[in-house]
Amino acid sequence: MQPVLTESAPRKPTPAHVGIVPVRPPKRGLRVFFFFSSAVVLTGAVSLLFADLLWRTGWSASRTVLLVLFVILFLLAAIGCMQGLYGFVLRILGDRHRITLMTDYHERSIAGTSTALLFPICNEDVVRVFGGLRATYLSLAQTGELHRFDFFILSDSTEPNKWIEEERRWIELVRELGALGRVYYRRRLTNEDRKSGNIRDFLNVWGKRYRYFVVFDADSVMRGETLVTLVKLMEANPAVGLIQTVPGVVNASSLFGRIQQFANRFYTPLFITGLNFWAQGFANYWGHNAIIRTEPFMQHCDLPRLPGRKPFGGQILSHDFVEAALLLRANWQVWFAYDLEGSYEEAPQDMIANAQRDRRWCQGNLQHALVMFVRGLRGISRLHLLFGVMGYLASPLWLAFLLTFNWIRLSHKFSGLSDITVRAFTPYLNLTATQHAFVVFMICMVVLLLPKCLALVELVFDTARRRAFGGLRCATASVLLETAFSALHAPLQMLWHTSFVVTSLLGGSVRWGGQRRLAGGVTWRTALRRHWWHMLIGLVWGGLIWWFDRPVFWWFTPVLAGMVLSVPLSVAVSNTRLGAHARALCLFLTPEEISTPPELAELQMRMVVKQKEPGREESLPDAGLAEAVLDPYVNAVHVSLLREKRLNPVYAAGLEKLGVGKPEIRAIAERLLMRGPGALSPQEKILVLNDADVMAWLHRQAWLRPTETLASWWQVALQRYTR
Amino acid sequence: MDIPLESTIGSWAFPRDEPGKLAGRPLEEWNAAYGKVESYFNALCVRNKVLLGQLVIHVLKRAMARAPAEPHRSATELAVEELDRVVTDWFAQVLQVPAEGADPLLSTRGRLALLLADMPGKWQDQFLRPGPWPDQFVNAMRQAYLRSGPDFQLSQMSPREFDLGPITTLTKFSRLPYVKMVMVWATFALLLILIFYLTH
Repeated sequence: MQPVLTESAPRKPTPAHVGIVPVRPPKRGLRVFFFFSSAVVLTGAVSLLFADLLWRTGWSASRTVLLVLFVILFLLAAIGCMQGLYGFVLRILGDRHRITLMTDYHERSIAGTSTALLFPICNEDVVRVFGGLRATYLSLAQTGELHRFDFFILSDSTEPNKWIEEERRWIELVRELGALGRVYYRRRLTNEDRKSGNIRDFLNVWGKRYRYFVVFDADSVMRGETLVTLVKLMEANPAVGLIQTVPGVVNASSLFGRIQQFANRFYTPLFITGLNFWAQGFANYWGHNAIIRTEPFMQHCDLPRLPGRKPFGGQILSHDFVEAALLLRANWQVWFAYDLEGSYEEAPQDMIANAQRDRRWCQGNLQHALVMFVRGLRGISRLHLLFGVMGYLASPLWLAFLLTFNWIRLSHKFSGLSDITVRAFTPYLNLTATQHAFVVFMICMVVLLLPKCLALVELVFDTARRRAFGGLRCATASVLLETAFSALHAPLQMLWHTSFVVTSLLGGSVRWGGQRRLAGGVTWRTALRRHWWHMLIGLVWGGLIWWFDRPVFWWFTPVLAGMVLSVPLSVAVSNTRLGAHARALCLFLTPEEISTPPELAELQMRMVVKQKEPGREESLPDAGLAEAVLDPYVNAVHVSLLREKRLNPVYAAGLEKLGVGKPEIRAIAERLLMRGPGALSPQEKILVLNDADVMAWLHRQAWLRPTETLASWWQVALQRYTR
Repeated sequence: MDIPLESTIGSWAFPRDEPGKLAGRPLEEWNAAYGKVESYFNALCVRNKVLLGQLVIHVLKRAMARAPAEPHRSATELAVEELDRVVTDWFAQVLQVPAEGADPLLSTRGRLALLLADMPGKWQDQFLRPGPWPDQFVNAMRQAYLRSGPDFQLSQMSPREFDLGPITTLTKFSRLPYVKMVMVWATFALLLILIFYLTH
């Protein structure tokens, strides 16, 4: 029997592809030097001022610690500020050094190319994943280049309900789109090495068929035109190994989600332009919404396990940065295509979900502290890795800074000494100690807030952008409120990240499950359970400061307020009604909210339709298993996919290793019929679901046997088919 | 295999039937059998009520014919067995697989073919009907095949171990990336310390 396949993407790489010799990217040392020197000079000047302030009340060991912490933290803030500043200037003057302007790619043909679009998923919201894929597919179809792309859903799902739902939704989708032979579904037997292992498994089986592949996240959507442009860019730049788009956050509905979405859409262009200034062809990979040249990736980016124990040893969790570093090491270029529109993702909808995502990323980023020392990596790669580490380490450092400051004040109070300030730079600056402290504080504030102000200033010059954010007044109000919220959120992030870092360093492991992306609202109970310790710390800390140093208490109120108010804050910002209310008030508007692109409109419409469908999963425990056995079509699809899996020698060996085909599984299946799924362990359920013959047998038996001889669970499940 | 639509209850009666029985079984038993068979056709998405009724009756008549000879089997068991047989035989005919010694997973393949040929949407009237069938339907059924991916092109990515020798790297200090830049910054820091020292 010949398979029915629509014409698929060309299968063999063209000679032009085979002959590519990577070119060493042009030196960007001067850019790096100027950029980071700006940050270093600024940090040096302000640190000197701060050291002078500390000197005025008498030097001590704790002041040395405070100064060191200040220098590190200020340097990080200064780098961020400089990225915003450089970005602003480049956006006003025009940045010619970007991948989209380096070659004339527009007329480039993509005939002869083949690109795989990969959707690696693990226990995700199936409706959302397939909605995103469908929107991308339809958008790509409109470009007329659909036949050069194949879609792969690469499942690592371990929950039987998710597994079966994925298969059902897949067959529904391919039937609806007529996409059999264009949209594929494959589930791994084990999710070894998680996402990077999932991609590797794909590459080992089909990688050689495709010149490029694009990795999607479970919540990614990409415009067809953008995908075609990415392929053209790769074709026009044969030395480029990876192009990372900058996905815009979309589809947020809660207040928190909309604030984050606004911040992403409003500030990111500035920062990313600044980042591109110094990174150029030495950019980074963020794990999704990026196109990758298959051959060098396969050659250089299979990740080894790191030596030693957790948190640094073992599997590399945050693989993306490392893969980019390995491509750069092999002289392939990596670019940000930051000016390409039509690349989207979604973000967590509440503070708790956001923290859970950070928890997963934290351990991976901390591992980079070890990867930084890998020989042969480029200096810029080490910088990217270092910034990844500092993204989490900054929190405990900030906490240490605040505590050290409190310690200095406390020890001073109990020393019995009076405040006698000495002259320092004051002859030159003519400042009192209080004024001196205020100047340092104000500089810090300016450094932190300057990029936000510059983003607003840019809006004044850019009419189209101004309209896209609802006008200057709406955008200004949004920036002010976003800043206020960030001030309250930042102390919570500090406590969370500190706990994540400590837990990771103590060897605590991370569960790499699906991410909660939908807005469901945080209940008071959940908020109390997750935030009680924030409140407690805020109250105790605030009480202590109030007791020993009342004037300082008021300086600490922004930090303490976030902690003390964490519960109501968490509940309030997770609220979708508040999100909608803010939208009605023109707050936190983003370009996609004002004028929804067709691919997002398609996705949103699909989600509304699918959410109205009656749910199958909630009605019965182990509904997926019931469906896989009883539904004649779902069973047929499931069994057929399992049978095809045997054709792959690696999977065939894996199935054998699992014990598939052994008589014991038939005995487990018999137990399933007689006593229901409650009598099976999760592993046994997976085992049964992995055995094609047993699944076909179960379908027959469940229908053939008198209902009264089956477990009551089957009787309930069969009722679904009774009219 | 034509399926006549019998409209009178007389056609159901067996000579030896007592009142309240059909083919020697209580009516409730056949009712249960009817429900089970109908459920399976529902599961196959046969939505047309006339067709559904025809199919169920066809299966039940075959079960009733067997019932007197197999008194120890319930009506539902007989009906479901007949259902399985009727459906599998029909798959064998449509897919041109010999009924004897057929692929043990023929039923799976047949059901998949029904789905991919869109029997529930386009061809409900052809389901379990004897041939000849429309060419479009037959082709759709016979060519239906599910693939989770294109043909394999197996290869093996192999990780290269990282050389994590920071000490080795440090011994070659001059070859560290950006060492000159860092040296400039270090000089700058020293200058600041000197200024601080001189002014305090």
